[in-house]
Amino acid sequence: MALKSDASRYFFGYLWWILEPLLYVCVFYVVFNVILDSRKADFLVFLMCGKLPFVWFSKSVSQASNSIVSNAGLIGRIDIPKTLFPMAIIQEGLYKQSVVFLLLFAVLIGYEYMPSLQWLWLIPIMAVNYLIIVACALIGSVLVCFMRDFSMFISLGMIFLMFTSGIFWDVRGLNNAEMTELVLTYNPIAFIIDAYRQVLMYQQIPDAFMLIKIALLFGSVIMLMVYAMRRFSRFLALKALTA
Amino acid sequence: MNNLDDKVMLELQDVSHNYHAKKASFDHGIHHVLDSVSLKLYRGETLGVVGKNGCGKTTILRLMAGILDPTEGTIRRRSNASAALLSIGLGFKPNLSGRSNATLSAMLQGATQKQAESLLEEIKAFSDLGDSFEEPVKTYSSGMRSRLGFTTALMTDVAILLIDEVLAVGDAQFRGKAEAALRDRIAGDQTVVFVSHSAPQVASVCDRAIWLNDGKIADEGSAKSVLSSYRTYVKSNAG
Repeated sequence: MALKSDASRYFFGYLWWILEPLLYVCVFYVVFNVILDSRKADFLVFLMCGKLPFVWFSKSVSQASNSIVSNAGLIGRIDIPKTLFPMAIIQEGLYKQSVVFLLLFAVLIGYEYMPSLQWLWLIPIMAVNYLIIVACALIGSVLVCFMRDFSMFISLGMIFLMFTSGIFWDVRGLNNAEMTELVLTYNPIAFIIDAYRQVLMYQQIPDAFMLIKIALLFGSVIMLMVYAMRRFSRFLALKALTA
Repeated sequence: MNNLDDKVMLELQDVSHNYHAKKASFDHGIHHVLDSVSLKLYRGETLGVVGKNGCGKTTILRLMAGILDPTEGTIRRRSNASAALLSIGLGFKPNLSGRSNATLSAMLQGATQKQAESLLEEIKAFSDLGDSFEEPVKTYSSGMRSRLGFTTALMTDVAILLIDEVLAVGDAQFRGKAEAALRDRIAGDQTVVFVSHSAPQVASVCDRAIWLNDGKIADEGSAKSVLSSYRTYVKSNAG
């Protein structure tokens, strides 16, 4: 039912679903390819493979983070599971992202990166990407509930992640191989973005073991958060209403 | 849960409620809203709660509805007694039509989608919203919002109806209609807690009342006697 409301809220803005991420890509393209002249082959495709999944992550998490506090009116009226608010935002983002992915595939095919069986790896990659989003969104929404100031840190953190996750630069292109290893091991976003590229552009199979590790980690964070948010639902309500 | 007296729907025992306010202007930044309040709510009765602004009326309703937990004390609710809190305006999705909002509210109060949809025409008729029912709620006046909110809560079936100042807005005609509908519900098996700072309204719908002052129950008893002492207090403070 929250989905229904979201769908109608954005009735006029269907076009924005695609337009907004594309504008992000445009900005980056102008800066890095036209002005800084990065001279990377097919930079547009490279950029889109990184930026589009990242926008999915960053938009979902930052919107979901504010979702509990911005629904304080509703929270003051009924005893409602608090996970509903971030999840509604994430679900909305998932719908939008499915359209964005279709567009990405169209561009890839346009640049003659033809679909292959390797592309089936996208299913687990997207699933893990989704798990990361849910875990971060739940944590963010609770943090903002306790202190509104956290929403500032979250937007700052998004910028930090944007620069450190290899969206406009290639993690594998670093001069220092150890650094590449370090980033891919400790920054799951960078790993996921690299995995998208490996599959879509280079027909490579991603590190399945790492993928499972990330899935398990974020999956357990989600379970923990859902349990905690159920258990302390009324405490969260108090915080949302008074803090 | 089951050791409640058969007639008691809800019981508050020594309930205190406080929270950390941002500014440390109160007791080391702790804001005391309710201070060991005990009361019982009986099946089928209409309990009025009066008191000045900020005395804890809305908080007591939120505690009763299970939205908040008390800091101290216990609240016992009859098992499977659903409670719905009805207050003005808040909780609507402004970009959605009155119809979708009514469906959402009804479903959030535990109705299935089918049940909610079957209530819609009734809600539309009673609230007198006419064609505005299909318009987004952001175009509504506060009176129209309260009509929608009141009607939705009235139509959905809850064991304990908690009403927060809703009748304060809306024009005289709708208010009359709403009061009449409320009396109909009250005449049945409906348990109602009715919060208002308007003494005449409490007098006209409630059989029993409590008067909250500074987080404590200042008086409790029949609506008439509580209201007369509340009036005396208001007058003596104003003068």
